[in-house]
Amino acid sequence: MAERRRNIAPWWGLLFAIGAIGCNAAFFVSPPFQGALPWLSLLFGFLSLVYLVIGLKRAFGQPQFYRGKVLSVVLTVVSILPVALTAFVFVHARKLPDSTAAPQVGQRVPDFTLSDTSGKPVSLDQLFAASSGSFSVSSSGTQSPAPKAVLLIF
Amino acid sequence: MEKRLAEFEAAGVRPVAISVDAPQVSQDLSKKAGFRFAILSDPDAAVIRRYHLLHTGGGPEGHDIARPAEFLVDSGRIVRWTNFTEDVRVRARADEMLAAAKQLR
Repeated sequence: MAERRRNIAPWWGLLFAIGAIGCNAAFFVSPPFQGALPWLSLLFGFLSLVYLVIGLKRAFGQPQFYRGKVLSVVLTVVSILPVALTAFVFVHARKLPDSTAAPQVGQRVPDFTLSDTSGKPVSLDQLFAASSGSFSVSSSGTQSPAPKAVLLIF
Repeated sequence: MEKRLAEFEAAGVRPVAISVDAPQVSQDLSKKAGFRFAILSDPDAAVIRRYHLLHTGGGPEGHDIARPAEFLVDSGRIVRWTNFTEDVRVRARADEMLAAAKQLR
């Protein structure tokens, strides 16, 4: 019997699993292509599963040609967790209520009054006034002119 | 965001964050992270609800929070630009918000 071949598919499975997790880590630096990251993480997770299955099939289905029974099982076990986590996070991160009722471009938003970090009430209209740094933590005392717009970040 | 604050100011835009966290919590975060932009506290999510942004049970402990959203509002309180992400991990980038700010007249 000829020498059996190495079974490198499980290693690709592991590599793609790491890639899937890496995509999730990449959000922290918010790269320009961040919109593609969720899909990239899903793609890597899928490719990981494909290679893991190939690895297992080769090791157990064609043991006369391929080595790596133990290796393929170990790498599959190691890779499954990050892939499952990626899939879970993907679903969870996108479970958002739709925004159709939220204010849209051209609409007028309601005024509101909320406490700032020092507990002082601040209204949206006040945010449009020239500030003496009282809205910000660094009260350098410099007078900043009235802003043209306020960027509300929820 | 914080790093680009001067650019927002130059574009005449005041960034304001709104969260359900108590003022003290936001203050601690602000101090720790060195934020200089305003953070307003909406503990009952009253404003968040009025803006139709409530994410029921979306908080880590199952409490109500706001779905992520960004609005550029002019002094007439008219919305000039919005961003509603489909994924909590993908927030508007400072670049995009600055580009929108520079479009304002």
